[in-house]
Amino acid sequence: MNTLRYLTESSADLFWPGVLTLLVVTLVCSVLSVIVVLKRMAFVGQGVSHAGFGGVGLAAALGLAGSTPATLAIVLAFCLCAAFVIAVLSRRHDTEPDTAIGIVLVGAMALGSVLLHVAHQVHPADRVPGWEGVLFGSILFSGWAEASWSVVVAGSIAMLAAWFRRPIMAWAFDECGAEAMGVRVGFVRAIVLSLVTLAIVLAMKVVGVVLATAMLVLPGATALTLTDRWRTTLILSVLAGSGGAIAGVVLSFEADWPPGAAVVLSLIGFYAAGRAYRALSSRPARSAARAS
Amino acid sequence: MPNDPSNDIAIEIRDVSFAYSRSGGSPLPAIDRVSIQVRTGERLGILGPNGGGKSTLLKLMLGLIRPGAGSISICGRPPQDARRQQLVGYVAQRIEAELAFPISAREAVLMAIEIGASPWRRRTQDDRAFASDCLERVGALAFADRPVGTLSGGQIQRVMIARALGRRPRVLLMDEPTVGIDLSGQQRFGELVSRLHADLGLTIVIVSHDVRAIAAGCDRVACLSRTLHYHDSPAGLTPAVLGEVFKHDLAAVFGDVHLDAHMADQCSAPGHTHGPGHVHGPGCSHDHPGAEGGA
Repeated sequence: MNTLRYLTESSADLFWPGVLTLLVVTLVCSVLSVIVVLKRMAFVGQGVSHAGFGGVGLAAALGLAGSTPATLAIVLAFCLCAAFVIAVLSRRHDTEPDTAIGIVLVGAMALGSVLLHVAHQVHPADRVPGWEGVLFGSILFSGWAEASWSVVVAGSIAMLAAWFRRPIMAWAFDECGAEAMGVRVGFVRAIVLSLVTLAIVLAMKVVGVVLATAMLVLPGATALTLTDRWRTTLILSVLAGSGGAIAGVVLSFEADWPPGAAVVLSLIGFYAAGRAYRALSSRPARSAARAS
Repeated sequence: MPNDPSNDIAIEIRDVSFAYSRSGGSPLPAIDRVSIQVRTGERLGILGPNGGGKSTLLKLMLGLIRPGAGSISICGRPPQDARRQQLVGYVAQRIEAELAFPISAREAVLMAIEIGASPWRRRTQDDRAFASDCLERVGALAFADRPVGTLSGGQIQRVMIARALGRRPRVLLMDEPTVGIDLSGQQRFGELVSRLHADLGLTIVIVSHDVRAIAAGCDRVACLSRTLHYHDSPAGLTPAVLGEVFKHDLAAVFGDVHLDAHMADQCSAPGHTHGPGHVHGPGCSHDHPGAEGGA
């Protein structure tokens, strides 16, 4: 089996940091994905994740492509700016939210493309990432330093989510009612958008900007097809996310597929299985209801 | 020592005006010099057509927007302070809650009880007991452990009221509480409001465009259509008054009916039943099409 060989032999140091990063990212994304799905923020996530392309381009153009913390900080700042611009444009009565997201998405992609081109010309000696690597990511891009950073950032996301869990849940369930109960909904919205942006920036490294949103949508969507209990939803979301990540890595090693795409296809497989299970398990109930 | 009369006033709205700003245009006035006093323990119904300023007044009372002129105090405090000090409970329209949320009715109430608690604080037995108490008061204990997405309109409304009670408010504001609820559910809603009022001594404000929701157990009624047209007992709320207040725009008030001269002659109070074209009231024997099941 390629998987065992890759992870145990001399090449282990090449793969383990990426696999560890993927698992850590999956855990935080799975928890956040429940809120993303319930609050219909998937397309916002898509806009923010694509803005990361512009951030990577900016970091490369500034000659910082070799520094993980600097690149991470610039991409994060770029994505937060994108989220802010989307929020401001969406609040204007003359711009629909999907229009605002569409504008930010294509603008950041175009800017990123230009900046990467400039980076190749201005800093030819730098290890400037190719556009394919940025768009689709790879677990091979992560060394132990990157993995350590990912663990720190993911831990921070988890701690912030736990700290603000009560106002976040109240906001997600009933925004108007939460505001009337004294919750600062604008602040909570900003916190959730920041956490989602942080998670996307982490996910970009391993699955790329195009597929990062999948990590923030599919685990939660899978869990919500299977249960209507809060704790069970969170547990199933984490199980679906980590199951999809492990299955994707194995698939990638065994079939030599691109890891990001393999992970996303595995997550979609889990979602399809969840929907099929729900359809099959609700059929006897529907038949009984029809018979009665 | 004589009682301070200001302690008897739960809500004081004095000469309040508010206008929505429009980009590139003059401000759109929503409320113009409205003054209302609500005594502690009183039940006030605010009735008016869509666009008449009811929801704006509710937002002003909640402190979500600030008046352009005039002042509002809730239990002697600015509305923002009253809201943050949990003196005000609010029941929004059912449609505003995310009913796909995977929680039970009990968890929805516990969520309200725990808002603002320290992140380290764990759920206690007292929290659970209080949530059960709130649910029992509104008659929702029987379906407390069912997911909110499986409840009927009337059941959801009860859960939302229990959620508001979870904040231990002194003033309860309800926005269009009978929308989407059938006639029997509306009657039970009236009984529920009376019971909460009697048991907890709450000051209750109900905002609605439906006279049935207002007439069901309110001590006084305020008719609002940008300005305050009427503020007195429901007994004085005759069709003639309504016709004058709403300037014959009763279709906006009652949805699918019209006030005709024949009915205006015969009615003396809301609650009468008539043939086609009547005013809905607590005694109505039919319902709006498409209304959902009650509790």
